[in-house]
Amino acid sequence: MKKLLAFALSAVMTMGCFAGCASQQEQVPTDGNIKIGVLAPLTGTNAEYGKGFEVGTQMAVDRINAAGGINGRNLELVVKDSKGDQKESSDLCRMFGDDQQIMAIIGDFTSGACMANAPIVDEAKIVQLSPTASNPDYAGMSDYCFSIMGRQDGEAPFYAKYILGKYMGVKKLGVIYINSDWGKSCFDNFKSQCDEEGLEIVEAVNYVQDEKDFSSLITKLKAASPDVICIMDQGAVPQVINQIRGSGWTDIPITTLGPGTSEQLIDLCGENAEGLLLTSPFFFDPDDAELTAWKDEFIKKAGFEPTIHPVCAYDCVSLLAEAIKACGDEVTRTNIRDNLAKVDIVGVSGPLKFNEGGDITRQYLICGVEDGKYVVKEGFDYSKEGN
Amino acid sequence: MRDFITKSKALYQKHKIWFNIAILVILVVLPLFIRQSYLMGVLCRILLYATLAGSLNAINGYSGQTCIGHAGFFCIGAYCEAILATRLGLSFWLALPIAGIVTAIFGGIIALPTLKMKGIYLSIVTLGFSEIVRLVALNWEGLTGGPMGIKGIPVPKVFGMQFSGSHTYYYIFLAIAVLFIFVTGRVIRSRVGRAWISIREDQLAAKSLGVQTSHYKSMNFMYGAFWAGIAGAAYAPYVRFIDSTMFTLDEGFNILSMVIIGGQGTLVGPVAGSVIVNLLTELLRPVGQWRMVAYGLLIIVMMWWRPQGLVGASDSILSGNTGKKRLSRKAKKGVSA
Amino acid sequence: MEYFLNQLINGLCQGSIYALMAIGYSVVVGVVGMVTFTHGEVIMIGAFASFYVFNALGNNLLLGVVASFAASWIIGMIIYKVCYEHFFSAPRHISLICTIGISILIKNLAQIVFGPNQMPMLNVVKNNVYKLGPVQISTVQILVIVIVVVLAGILSLVFNKTKWGIALRAVSQDKTAAYMMGINVKRTAMIGNCIGCGLGGVAGMLLSIYYQTLSATMGGSYGMKAFSSSVLGGLTDIRFSAIGGLCIGLIENLGITISSASFRDVFAFGFLILVLIIRPQGFASKKGARP
Repeated sequence: MKKLLAFALSAVMTMGCFAGCASQQEQVPTDGNIKIGVLAPLTGTNAEYGKGFEVGTQMAVDRINAAGGINGRNLELVVKDSKGDQKESSDLCRMFGDDQQIMAIIGDFTSGACMANAPIVDEAKIVQLSPTASNPDYAGMSDYCFSIMGRQDGEAPFYAKYILGKYMGVKKLGVIYINSDWGKSCFDNFKSQCDEEGLEIVEAVNYVQDEKDFSSLITKLKAASPDVICIMDQGAVPQVINQIRGSGWTDIPITTLGPGTSEQLIDLCGENAEGLLLTSPFFFDPDDAELTAWKDEFIKKAGFEPTIHPVCAYDCVSLLAEAIKACGDEVTRTNIRDNLAKVDIVGVSGPLKFNEGGDITRQYLICGVEDGKYVVKEGFDYSKEGN
Repeated sequence: MRDFITKSKALYQKHKIWFNIAILVILVVLPLFIRQSYLMGVLCRILLYATLAGSLNAINGYSGQTCIGHAGFFCIGAYCEAILATRLGLSFWLALPIAGIVTAIFGGIIALPTLKMKGIYLSIVTLGFSEIVRLVALNWEGLTGGPMGIKGIPVPKVFGMQFSGSHTYYYIFLAIAVLFIFVTGRVIRSRVGRAWISIREDQLAAKSLGVQTSHYKSMNFMYGAFWAGIAGAAYAPYVRFIDSTMFTLDEGFNILSMVIIGGQGTLVGPVAGSVIVNLLTELLRPVGQWRMVAYGLLIIVMMWWRPQGLVGASDSILSGNTGKKRLSRKAKKGVSA
Repeated sequence: MEYFLNQLINGLCQGSIYALMAIGYSVVVGVVGMVTFTHGEVIMIGAFASFYVFNALGNNLLLGVVASFAASWIIGMIIYKVCYEHFFSAPRHISLICTIGISILIKNLAQIVFGPNQMPMLNVVKNNVYKLGPVQISTVQILVIVIVVVLAGILSLVFNKTKWGIALRAVSQDKTAAYMMGINVKRTAMIGNCIGCGLGGVAGMLLSIYYQTLSATMGGSYGMKAFSSSVLGGLTDIRFSAIGGLCIGLIENLGITISSASFRDVFAFGFLILVLIIRPQGFASKKGARP
């Protein structure tokens, strides 16, 4: 009975699954909504970012549709939860690939998932535009893979050369970075630029994702007596800053690469964020009504302050919209890919234009925290020099 | 209803070989009727997890040890294949068994210190082992590519045919799953398998009857690890990119819950568990972020409803039947009859 | 030397955090007699309870303790009803899987209810840094160490000397025998479980004060550390569990001192496995370690 029950159950479920998907259109629709697939980790440990993806992309679509859509057609999002798991992400990616109505894919969050998806999108000839994938190898894996996070061969050298070398004029650096694909490539690029600039890394320590206690790393850094602390991470920066200040090490300047001008950082650090210097590709200028409106809308919809991730997700939709617009009447997957490679627009996160490999080369700003607010540091002659 | 079940069960027992062949034929021709590579992807995942859960079942279900860090073995197998294929250019068909053997050796190593331990102490050793393996894979840049992972793992080829998409790769997973079930079925009925089961039911009694428990327990660990390694080695060229984030403890828990939901101590159990867990998590997509909540609920409901799992070995110690209870149940039956 | 001493203090502080979690864990395991994977989620619930109380009623530490203890107590009752009560006579792995199930459930529910992002927990306790010669220690660190020592002392007194504590231990060692001695097994086990969970909740509050942040997914790694600390201490003995936590904290930080923080868990688990090879029951004597 047991075996039979098992087989019957699995057979019924499998058949049900097939029956549900049996009828499907094969030809590319030429009117109606243009569908874009979104892969986001809505559950699991990265849910925070998945939620940002969902809200960010939906905001962009709402705006585009409110403005009349693209060539008279509206955009429509199909959001699927990948749980941050490569296996699920790959299968969903296949699902989008199968569905001829889906014209492009935005996502996934982790580089690992994106890279596992690369052969699939390559086969299905559909664009996978990731807002966050930062593995330097990702975009080169397929013609259909794009990333707008920006490779760290841009930002990390900028950080070393301009913030540390020129703006601060420090010599001895203590570096603390996350041991992930992103952190590692940041650090490698940073290190080679430091060698060029004659900056000395007196101590470099790393940690893995989900680390909570940085006290022994901070003690290690302290023992090397650097002039400045450089933090390279996206999620744990507030904890590191809090723990540095909490350990009574209040006179050391802190700089960071990664979180961008994230309001969450200020929320989570409070007074400890004061005097922090960072590099960011974009900045929510309080005088810029459009950006402020964007931010307020995001907070209203998501319930938390935007980080760099939803901003990038938002820009992904803008990029795709632009590419689709350029396609004219012939909206096909390959056309979108070809046009996406040529798009040149200014998004919320700054100017966006893909290079040969499918990555974005960005411009960076030097920002600081003063009185609990971000300010752009200006008044130095090399501010326009960056990249 | 019950009558129908017993009858069909008898029918199945009578024509067992034909039924099995029919199922196999259906599974082999299935890809010809499915065009969506998404469904094939889900089927591939089901088969992969069927092998993984089955290999865990070989440890947990047949010898009654509680291994909860199975992701570690999976990880070793995957990395092994990836390294052999990308560094040494070894063909998949050669790398696959090597990866299995290497993983089995690791299984043996982890089994040695655990022979003395029981229950949860053994569990935490396997758990710790799994985490250590993952962190070593993350940190040993020279060998594993560190946080960057290994990309560009070549796909298997046979006679010029490439196993690149989910449609073709399905056959590799299918072959491995079928081979696994076949071999395990044989092993379980052999002297070794009977020794494992005797250890599960009563270690002391087994020992007193001359079963070399430590010998068979470590062999059991090696056997389970071997198949987990094979599954991992088959998985690596399927995704063509692996990094350490794929082998977290949650992965191990996931495999474990498949085994328990499907049922320990039977060959079909883990297969059923894999089918149910993978399909349900897919079918639950419409509920959005409540999906994982529903998954948690499912596990609990399953444990309340059928603690031995859907098709678990209901006559073993695993289903909560201690010797006394079984006796009393038999006695009751005798009275009513 | 100064550097080394400071690292030792770091290890001690981190160890005391682990010890704090392990105390609650070993109470649960000691009384219920089953291993749980929900402790991380219990810790998280306690942290969120205190977070909302601090936000609503101001930074009153005592109120926070009460709120987190109460919230985790309630969660403990649910966990007990779902995972343990039904399965006392069943094999252990069933309730183990049940706890994994409820842990997935609580974690994902919390993400929906509390939101998925990190929350700040700033300035609840005024943090001063004291310098004692070459080493320095902060107010929160002292607070945590003191609480661990006091709790471990009081609890082991209660468990070993009072009638009620002996009843709890009797339940943990042999439910049938305890039942025959006239102990209400189910009630005692539930109260024991809830106390353990409540302690976990308080630990959650202190953790989020210590690290100044909390999130719905914080439980996973903490729960694992609580689990390993208590296994190291022999699972059921409160004092040994606390010592186990301290040891893991010290080993981890010494390991980080000589290599990198990426290997933190390698040191923790490597040490644990090594100890278990030498002493399969952990630190505790063979009598005490049942599960």
